[in-house]
Amino acid sequence: MGAPPEGVVLPDRDPVDEDLALAPPPGLGALFSGMLQVALSSFGGGLSAWSQRIVVEQRRWMSNEAFITGLTVARLFPGPNQINMAIYIGTRFRGLPGALVALAGMLLVPFTLLMLVGLAYFQLHGLPAVDRVLAGVVAAAAGMALSMGFKILHTYLSDRMALLLAAVTFLALTLAHVRLVPVVLVLGPLAMAWYWPRPGTTPSGPP
Amino acid sequence: MVPLIWLSPSTRLLAEAQACSPLPLSDLANLLRVIGEFLSLSLFSLGGGNTLLAEYHHLSVDQFCWLSNAQFADLYALAEAAPGPSSMIVGLLGLGAAQREGPFWALLSAYGAECAILLPSTLLMVVACLSWQRFRDSPWRVSFERGLGPITLGILFAVGLKILHTADTNPPGVVVSLVVCALMLRTRISPLWFMAVAGVLGGFGVINR
Repeated sequence: MGAPPEGVVLPDRDPVDEDLALAPPPGLGALFSGMLQVALSSFGGGLSAWSQRIVVEQRRWMSNEAFITGLTVARLFPGPNQINMAIYIGTRFRGLPGALVALAGMLLVPFTLLMLVGLAYFQLHGLPAVDRVLAGVVAAAAGMALSMGFKILHTYLSDRMALLLAAVTFLALTLAHVRLVPVVLVLGPLAMAWYWPRPGTTPSGPP
Repeated sequence: MVPLIWLSPSTRLLAEAQACSPLPLSDLANLLRVIGEFLSLSLFSLGGGNTLLAEYHHLSVDQFCWLSNAQFADLYALAEAAPGPSSMIVGLLGLGAAQREGPFWALLSAYGAECAILLPSTLLMVVACLSWQRFRDSPWRVSFERGLGPITLGILFAVGLKILHTADTNPPGVVVSLVVCALMLRTRISPLWFMAVAGVLGGFGVINR
C-alpha cells in the first residue's frame, strides 16, 4: 500500500490482533444494519472512528489492515470520504448491490432528519429570532470552512511545485472566476504529468 | 463520464442568458435540471467533497436563484451542524430549489439531488474497489494522488474564502470566524460548541449580518 493521502491522519487506535477470527461475510441485510448502526452511533461526531469500531472490532467483518486500505481508496477517489468508505465495505462483500445497500444504511436516517430540519428552516427562517441565531452559527461555520485549507497546508510546505499549483488554482478560482471543472481539467493533467513517477526515484508521497 | 461533463455548459449558457430570477417552476423540468447539474459535478468532488461548495453556491445562488446568499450560508451551517456526511448539503440545496412548489416537490428534489451527486462517484468507487489490487502501484494512481493534492489545497482555500464572503457578517462575526478557524486547527474541541456559542452571540445581536 502506498503512503496514505496527504493530510490524512490515520485513526490512532491499536492495531487489532490479526489472530482474531473474522466473522462470515455479511449479507445485504447485515450491511444495511451495520451501516445504520455506524450512522446512529456517530450522532455527535466521529463517523470514521465509529465505522472502524463497529466494522472491525464489533462485527469483525474485516481486518484493520483491510479497513485502512479502504480509507486510502476512499480518500483518493471523488466523493465524500465516509460515503466512499461505506461503498468500499459494501462492494467488498456484495459488489454493487452491497455498495448501494451500505450507502442507504449510512445515509437514510441522518439525511431524512436533516431534510425535515431543512423544511422547518424554510418555514421559519423569516422569523427575526431564528435569523439572528443563524447569523451567529453561520460565522462559526465560515471559520470551519476557512480552516479546511490550512489543515492540509503543512503537507505541501516543502514542495514548491505543489505550492505553485495550489496558488494558480486558488487565483484562477477567486480572481479570474474560472469555474472548478475547467480548472481541474486543465491543471489536473499538468500536475499529474509533473508528478509522474520517474524511474530511479522512489514513488513515495511529497516530502 | 465525459459526456456528463460536457452536457451541462449548454444548459448553463441558456440560464445565464436570462436575468437571474427564480426559475419558472414547471415541476418536472426543474427537478431534472437540479438532478442534471449535480450529476455533472459528482466526479469533481475531490478531497472529500467540500471542494464543491463554491460550485454549489454558484449554481444555487448566482445561476438559478434557488436561494439567497444568506440562505445558502444558513444551509451550509445546518449541514455542518448535522450528524452525518457533510455532503448532505446537496439535499438541502435540492430542497431549496423546489420549496416554493410545496413539501412534496421539495423532498423529491432533495432526494433526487443527493442521489445525483452521489451516483457517479459511487459507481467509480465500486469499480475502484474491485480493481484496486491491479492499479494501486500504477503510475496513474501515484501521479493522480500527488498531482491532485495541491489542486485540492488551492480549491479548499478558495472555498473557505467564498464561504466567509457568503456569510457576510459584521466585523465581530468575522473575528469569530477567524477565531473558530484557529481553534479548529489548534484544538480538538467539537465544532458543535463553536456553533452553539456563536449562535448565542448571534441571538444577543453581537454577530449580525
